[in-house]
Amino acid sequence: MRGTAAGLRRRRYLALVVGWAGFVAIWWLLALWIGSDARLPSPVRVLREVGYIFGGNPNIATDEGGVFWPNFSSSVLRVILGFATGVLFGTPLGFLMGRRRYWRSFLRSPVLIAGSIPGLTYAVMVLVVFGISNIGPILAIGLISMPYIAINVAEGVMGVDKGLVDMSTAFGRSENQIFRSVLVPSVLPFIFAGIRLSFSLAWKVGQLTEVFGSSRGIGFQIRRNFQLFNMPGVIAWVGLFIAFMLLLERFVLVRLERRLFRWRQWERDS
Amino acid sequence: MGARLVTATTPKTDYVHRNPRWARLRRFLRSDRGATWSAAVLFIAAWQLLTLIAPRVPSPIDVIQIMFIEMTGGDYGSIRRGEFWGHYGATLQRYGIGLAIGFVAGILVGALIGTSSLARALINDTVLVLLALPAFVWAFLTTMWFGIGWQAPVLTVAFAAFPFVAVNVAQGVRSIAPDLRHMSTAFGVTGWKRFRSLTLGGVMGYVFAGLRFAMIVSWNGVLLSEWFNGQNGVGFRTRFWFDANRYPGFLGWVISFIVFIVALDRLVLTRLQDRAFRWRAPVVETQRTPSQRTPSETR
Repeated sequence: MRGTAAGLRRRRYLALVVGWAGFVAIWWLLALWIGSDARLPSPVRVLREVGYIFGGNPNIATDEGGVFWPNFSSSVLRVILGFATGVLFGTPLGFLMGRRRYWRSFLRSPVLIAGSIPGLTYAVMVLVVFGISNIGPILAIGLISMPYIAINVAEGVMGVDKGLVDMSTAFGRSENQIFRSVLVPSVLPFIFAGIRLSFSLAWKVGQLTEVFGSSRGIGFQIRRNFQLFNMPGVIAWVGLFIAFMLLLERFVLVRLERRLFRWRQWERDS
Repeated sequence: MGARLVTATTPKTDYVHRNPRWARLRRFLRSDRGATWSAAVLFIAAWQLLTLIAPRVPSPIDVIQIMFIEMTGGDYGSIRRGEFWGHYGATLQRYGIGLAIGFVAGILVGALIGTSSLARALINDTVLVLLALPAFVWAFLTTMWFGIGWQAPVLTVAFAAFPFVAVNVAQGVRSIAPDLRHMSTAFGVTGWKRFRSLTLGGVMGYVFAGLRFAMIVSWNGVLLSEWFNGQNGVGFRTRFWFDANRYPGFLGWVISFIVFIVALDRLVLTRLQDRAFRWRAPVVETQRTPSQRTPSETR
């Protein structure tokens, strides 16, 4: 057995395929054994449900068809706006924490506490304050991501190369120029890391907020199917939820980060 | 509110320096502990202020009053206890049993993924998918499977906790340096002794880290499950006040479950984790880079 790189990779892919096939096979066998769509629908039944979600259910006369895009796009838009809110408020806090010792200890406990508050709190409080609205999920995602972004920005600000700042001052650059050309580019990767670290949590809490107080979105659809006792629908929407989350995390966020900050040496080192 | 005025930006007036009591207060307010206390005081002040603007928001006093009644039974205090203890007892029981199931399963699967590369290739993806599932999905699924009863909250906790423990344990097992393993073989340290001083020592920190995230996440899970299908428990009682539109009670219960998990995390879990990781060399802060944290820390 020669351990060439190509051979190793082939073996790993094989194991991956076998792993997924085994997962589906066990699911299928369990579904056959239980024999009830309301308990555990078979993979085929769930796939058909996914088809309904994209193309509409021909068996129901009133089904308008294709509920995927309106729900999906509203969820995604809320995530984007939520993270924008988190960055907007988290970055100044992070700068404060990074620059001043006083503010670091002032904000330390709130930030640490915010990290372990159950997501239910955000979802319900936002429902109480805003009712069923768009602002709720956006604010919840913003609040969840804010501490992560603040902590990372603070680390980034504390890690800014002092030599660069001193040199810029020596060469007569203004405060404004130093801020724009030294501080901001050094801190940007840390903002991004904060987003990536909090992404899965924020996405989950965003959906939970939709479960509680929304009329649209993936979370809302999961709850609707739960209330209709439509097990295939719940599993289909959950599958779409996971697929989208993993895709966005793996391919979009990680790649974007690598591409945007290619110029940073340590990215390549680590 | 005077707290903020005396801090960094105020010019040093002679008056402040001449009076030793003011000087001491000023020194305290500028210290780290002073900053923490000012944050807490400011938070409560802001809350009180909010109740003046928005009358629907219950004030701190309202919340304390109703929680006192919930705990002691109010006027009936001498005859019966309040609702508080019964609900917390029920929830903690479910939480504990669920955690025990998830913890044991997580350690077994994590050790398997960590030691065998075949097992890792086969089931790692499944565990990652479970990691991506939010707790409310488990609350819904278990309710649909088992109906209203003890199974749904217990299994929600177990399912929510399991992947966090598994991922962290697997990472811990793989982090044990092969050099050390070879050395211990060369020096004839094998069997139980090797397991105790090398494997256990190396993995313990990761086990506690996994337990910590699992406990935080599954606390949310048990509350959600009780919210949707409980007959009693903390989540149920919170929903009870919510449905009754009685916001002081609702907010009081929300605060109680936040305080519970924050205290557990700060006073127990973080300390256990730090203790178990004590053997590690302190991180040398030469250059700070983002994503220093392990991926499993992103809940």
